[in-house]
Amino acid sequence: MANQRALPQSKESLLQNYNKRLKDDIRSILDNLTEIIKTAKVEEETQVSRATQAEQDHYEMHVRAANIVRAGESLMKLVSDLKQFLILNDFPSVNEAISLQNQQLRSLQDECDKKLTSLRDEIAIDLYELEEEYYSSSYSQWDGTDLPLCEAYRRRDSWASPDRDPTFGSAPGGTEDADGPDSRETTPKHHLNGHGTTTSTDKP
Amino acid sequence: MANDRLRALEEVENQIATILQCAGNIVLELSKDKHNASFLDRQLSQFTGSVNRVETDLSSQIRYLTQVATGQPHDGSTYSARKDCQMALNRAEYARVKLGELGRTCELMLDPQP
Repeated sequence: MANQRALPQSKESLLQNYNKRLKDDIRSILDNLTEIIKTAKVEEETQVSRATQAEQDHYEMHVRAANIVRAGESLMKLVSDLKQFLILNDFPSVNEAISLQNQQLRSLQDECDKKLTSLRDEIAIDLYELEEEYYSSSYSQWDGTDLPLCEAYRRRDSWASPDRDPTFGSAPGGTEDADGPDSRETTPKHHLNGHGTTTSTDKP
Repeated sequence: MANDRLRALEEVENQIATILQCAGNIVLELSKDKHNASFLDRQLSQFTGSVNRVETDLSSQIRYLTQVATGQPHDGSTYSARKDCQMALNRAEYARVKLGELGRTCELMLDPQP
């Protein structure tokens, strides 16, 4: 074949060996069965006595039957070797199996991350409401350095709108409101979600 | 694709077993005093068909392997995708554990033990 690549000598010789084994085993089965059928024919005239001829035919049939079985076992071994060779060297199917497995793993990962993202969004909504409720109650100990989530959203909305409501975002730390969003972003002390250092300051 | 070829080889194994069984039936029938000619013909035709089929299938498999075999080991793996998926499952498990702790904390706050 013109398109056949030059295989390493070991692989090429291995495949040639497989071909040879196949041909030899098939030939052995056919020949031995043919000879058994020929031997089964009753000969009227024999060179030796009938008993001797019968004994010889019996032994020959045994040997040929054993040869057929041996050839069959050799063919099974050949099939086993071909299976092993196929699993290790059939690159198109190996590539397909790898890509299929990668696809399944990535889809599982995407599904997992999507569910985590939706869970995060739901919890953020609940946290917003809880913080709004907490920081507007009398139990709140907010000292102005920690910016609750609801307050941060309110201020962001107020900055985004062209008319700024001066009464918007009134908080104990109100002196810092006039600076606007730039200072808000650069000030490292403000923490969203109520996290960060909390100093015990008394609220009126 | 790989499974198809492996299944074809398993079918070849069944055919080899059929070959040996037919050969045995032929010899068994010949050993009798009166042979059933139709039975012998059927077994012989089945034997011949199986032998031809085995030879054809195995030759085609060897021919295919001659075309695709490179002699080099395969370097592909699913390690990166498997690792990413494992990390995603770890993230989900971590979120589950944290939510469980949060739930237990809320229960303790709502129903404190005396």
